[in-house]
Amino acid sequence: MDRVTAILKDPLLLAALAVLALLGLGELLSPGFARGDQIVRLLTVAAILGIVAAGQNLVILGGREGIDLSVGAVISLGAVIAGNVMSGDDAMILPALLAAGGVGFLVGIVNGLGVTVVRIPPLVMTLGMMGVVQGALVVLSRGVPSGNAAPALMAFVNQPLVAGIPGILFVWAAIAVLMAFVLRRTLFGWSVYAIGANERAAVLTGLPAGRIRTILYGLSGLFAGITGVCVIGYTGNSFISVGDQYVLPSVIAVVIGGTSLAGGSGSYTGTILGAIALVLLQSVLTTLQMEFWSRQVIFGATLLLLMLLYGRQARLRV
Amino acid sequence: MPDAPDALTATGVTKRFGAVVALSDARLRVGRGEVHALLGANGCGKSTLCKIIAGTVARDSGDIRVDGEARPLASPRAAEAAGIAIFYQELSLVPQLTVAENIHLGHEPRGAGGFVDRTARDESTDHLIGRFAGVAGDTFSAKTRVADLSPDQRQITEILKVLARRPRLIIFDEATAALDRRQVDVFFSIVRDLRAEGVSSIFISHRLDEVFAVADRITVMRNGETVGDFAVAETDPEAIVREMVGDVRLGPRPGKRPAAGGEPRLVVDGVGGGRLKDVRFTARKGEILGLGGLQGQGQKRLLAGLFGAEPFTSGAVLLDGAPVAPRRPADAIRAGFGLVSGDRGRDAAFPGRSILENAAMASLVREKAHLILARRLSARFDRMLAGLKTRYAGLGAPIGSLSGGNQQKIFIARWLAARPLVLLLDDPTKGIDLGAKADFFAIIRALAETGTTVLIYSSEDADLLSLCQRVLVFNGGRITADLSGPALDAVGLTRAAYGEAA
Repeated sequence: MDRVTAILKDPLLLAALAVLALLGLGELLSPGFARGDQIVRLLTVAAILGIVAAGQNLVILGGREGIDLSVGAVISLGAVIAGNVMSGDDAMILPALLAAGGVGFLVGIVNGLGVTVVRIPPLVMTLGMMGVVQGALVVLSRGVPSGNAAPALMAFVNQPLVAGIPGILFVWAAIAVLMAFVLRRTLFGWSVYAIGANERAAVLTGLPAGRIRTILYGLSGLFAGITGVCVIGYTGNSFISVGDQYVLPSVIAVVIGGTSLAGGSGSYTGTILGAIALVLLQSVLTTLQMEFWSRQVIFGATLLLLMLLYGRQARLRV
Repeated sequence: MPDAPDALTATGVTKRFGAVVALSDARLRVGRGEVHALLGANGCGKSTLCKIIAGTVARDSGDIRVDGEARPLASPRAAEAAGIAIFYQELSLVPQLTVAENIHLGHEPRGAGGFVDRTARDESTDHLIGRFAGVAGDTFSAKTRVADLSPDQRQITEILKVLARRPRLIIFDEATAALDRRQVDVFFSIVRDLRAEGVSSIFISHRLDEVFAVADRITVMRNGETVGDFAVAETDPEAIVREMVGDVRLGPRPGKRPAAGGEPRLVVDGVGGGRLKDVRFTARKGEILGLGGLQGQGQKRLLAGLFGAEPFTSGAVLLDGAPVAPRRPADAIRAGFGLVSGDRGRDAAFPGRSILENAAMASLVREKAHLILARRLSARFDRMLAGLKTRYAGLGAPIGSLSGGNQQKIFIARWLAARPLVLLLDDPTKGIDLGAKADFFAIIRALAETGTTVLIYSSEDADLLSLCQRVLVFNGGRITADLSGPALDAVGLTRAAYGEAA
């Protein structure tokens, strides 16, 4: 019994178990579900979610009710910008990435300034930003899809690069290493945890809490913009609400991975497992021929269930 | 007693908070229509006794009678029903509401249909405000929002809120703290009017001259018990101070180092802000300078100002001859200040994070160590914490796994590692056990030996007496005494704390 509670208290272990259980369940329901090429396909989808969740993870770690609901709109924006910059030209992939990431970063910085300088609650600030970006997209594109991905980008996302593994998974791995390094081995990373755990103490220790938090929102925008490029690489072309479906999952992936919504504790390793578990769940539900809106119900319920589970843990205290 | 019973008699009241005995044997007798002062040094239990009488803290044992009738006083409501009202030192007003709404909160006059009768409410409020006519300022009316009031007007509102309840016994805990001279005079005349109406008051003040001006009797408390009950007409301030201090034996005093032999390090020149007014002093290299006085007289504000957490609004500060004016803690830390707070949970701890993260943060910031070399950092802090006799399982364990005293050592280590020129200590021994306290004193003395200047505020006079050669005593936001040498003893501290000339 003690061992069971120990597992329940280790979110990383729990998320890993969920991944294995879902894989088993999928294989049971539909033999071939856990085949190598299928897993690579699932990981590709998980990578896209995992990259946007990296930003979400940072914002949530920084505490003070941190959350970024504008990531969906910024993904759409990034996809539309990238599609228009590339227009199917391989030579324009890097400029497209820079443009989408740069604009995303700026949107995020505005979020961050709204939260830290104007002191708008993050939920409201990023919800408002979501409306602004979505509206701007409709106005600018007049609702007509435009732009398309360069062939090389689509190959990078969808086709095997080395040993049957597509390029995007290497990008995700690089992001994972970078996130782990920054969070564990740099003053900036330690500062993120410190302001998330106790902002007042962080300020009294000399940390520029407002500047750090603003940068976190900027990074979330940056990751969302990059995700937009991945999305257009995955689908080939973009439409103006292509990012919407990532908002809720990006939060759930972070929470499944054991990052506290109160901030100050958690890791990107957990979020990776969370993203994989969530994509597996989605896939299993699709295998069960559950339609989109029913899956939304399951997703929402999963988030609330997790909150119930983690909310019951004794609050961290000194 | 002759005809009428006493307004309040409390006997044998006890109260424990965990292992701490706040009250061991408190007694208090307040006559009908009497102004009764309750005095004692910090931590003597007077606030706890008042909270018990006001029903906000439950007593463990003891008998309390109101107008001769035994009362359990189980809740603030019950105390209010018994005719008791308390003036809260920490303001209890709702800033978004008007003066009238605050004063009648929960006791709104009702008109037809049970709706609040606003006209009656505002009229009765203006009538109450009229008591402070001429000294409360023009902008002060029933319809003013509390957020727009000055601190003294807020305090007056708080007083009126108490009066509006028409109580038979009022507890005034530091009711004059934010008032100016003329306002205090008006307040005293109100208290005297109340006395004439048969309303009794219990009066807590940090000014002995006020006590002798307005009170009829004085009860003195020390270490959780009542030591005496005196008629003001038959005693004098000197005798009262002796009673507050008692028969003290001094703890081990620091060795006879030449007091303040070093060069000046910190010059504070007429700083002000909040309730702090024109504070000036010089602290030398290697000096442990105490900030004494009753709680809430501006000591914490001074430390917050020096550290940039609440910048001063006037005056200047020189550190080693160069002016420093920190607008935020990061500025002060860069200049060479460090701050250890007694409120660890609020001001210091990163809950859920490791001991290493908690210990190393300040020095990483000060040294701009953007890349963290974990092994070297761990070795450094293992060595340092061993030197501080800290007990911990490993640097990776969460900070919450340590006892209060050991946690405080981690936060001292945080600042020792950052090598500050001036270390500010804000009631640092709060909630830590005696063993850890002794270790703590040794650490601070050793630090001062290396030339660091230490400023310490403590709510316990004993801490200051065993650590400092010199203590600045605060009263009402000013330094009212600078004690050193033979004048620095428990009697001198208490006398100065109550605003008596040394």
